[in-house]
Amino acid sequence: METFEPMTGPTASVETEFVAVTAGGLEPTLRGRASARRKRPSGKDESALIERLKAGDQEAFEAIFDLYSPKLYRVAQRILGEVADTQEVIQDVFWTVYRKAKSFRGNSQLSTWLYRLTINAALGKIRREKKHSKEVEYEEYLPKFQEDGHHLVRPVVDWSDTLDEKFAKQELQGLLSAALDQLKPLDKSVVVLSDLEGMSDKEIAKTTGLTVSAVKTRLHRARLFLRGKLAVHLGYSAA
Amino acid sequence: MAKRKAATKALTNKSCRQISDLVFDYLNEKLTPATKRDFEQHLSICPDCVSFLNTYKKTVAVTSSVKVEQLPPKVRENILAFLRKRIRRIGAFLIFLATYLAA
Repeated sequence: METFEPMTGPTASVETEFVAVTAGGLEPTLRGRASARRKRPSGKDESALIERLKAGDQEAFEAIFDLYSPKLYRVAQRILGEVADTQEVIQDVFWTVYRKAKSFRGNSQLSTWLYRLTINAALGKIRREKKHSKEVEYEEYLPKFQEDGHHLVRPVVDWSDTLDEKFAKQELQGLLSAALDQLKPLDKSVVVLSDLEGMSDKEIAKTTGLTVSAVKTRLHRARLFLRGKLAVHLGYSAA
Repeated sequence: MAKRKAATKALTNKSCRQISDLVFDYLNEKLTPATKRDFEQHLSICPDCVSFLNTYKKTVAVTSSVKVEQLPPKVRENILAFLRKRIRRIGAFLIFLATYLAA
């Protein structure tokens, strides 16, 4: 039986302010990740639905399905890539929800449980069917440093302003999708939950069963890898 | 370059490698005031780390904008049909069980 831990802090309004440091100084740039995409019903509405679901109310089950299936599908699809696999995972997730609703003690958000079931089912599928074959060594695409701590390859080229000019939007999407598919499945899950779904590190830790520290390490390394892939594609050194 | 390298080393408490390790917490505003000060002091004299930070930030931004597949209506219907069928089966089984136990 799964155990559910209490969530800490509000989760519907996860916001992180990114500050860009340029040669000209500090300037705020990105506010939030994908948090704007995440809308939840009020806690009261959701609690009522859960109670009805526990009593075997099929309408409540379908209401929960309608609320969460688009989000969970998005996550599973991004991790698995194939529609048939994703459909199977979402079916399994909601079937588990129906069967095990009574074991949901409400200590955590329903969404945390659902995301956890989805991530576990998707990763389990990859593991069982050995579907992940495109994995590459990260090392080649990570920044490298000299013994004294300076960048190994200098100057480091700032391609942040030219990326959109050099690639058509579709080409960039394709490049990033391919790079995401080269991440280790658990790392990809962390990136999807963070940078695509806008979850906080704490939420991701609860969803994946990792520690917050492990989430940060995996996310940072995955981002460095993606950065390296973009740099190499632009003709620059990943280092 | 050697001059710049020496200046970077002499004027900041952090190396470029350390800046790379701290960038995640910097963007999440999780650095202590002292570490943040060191971080920004390093950036003020190291254009390589400014470039590194900007490209890291850009990577996060473009990753966030990757298009994700939405749930197609047909797939939604298939999943719901599958679930309804299973729920019906369970219902039928429970009725059978109750009848059997009552008999």
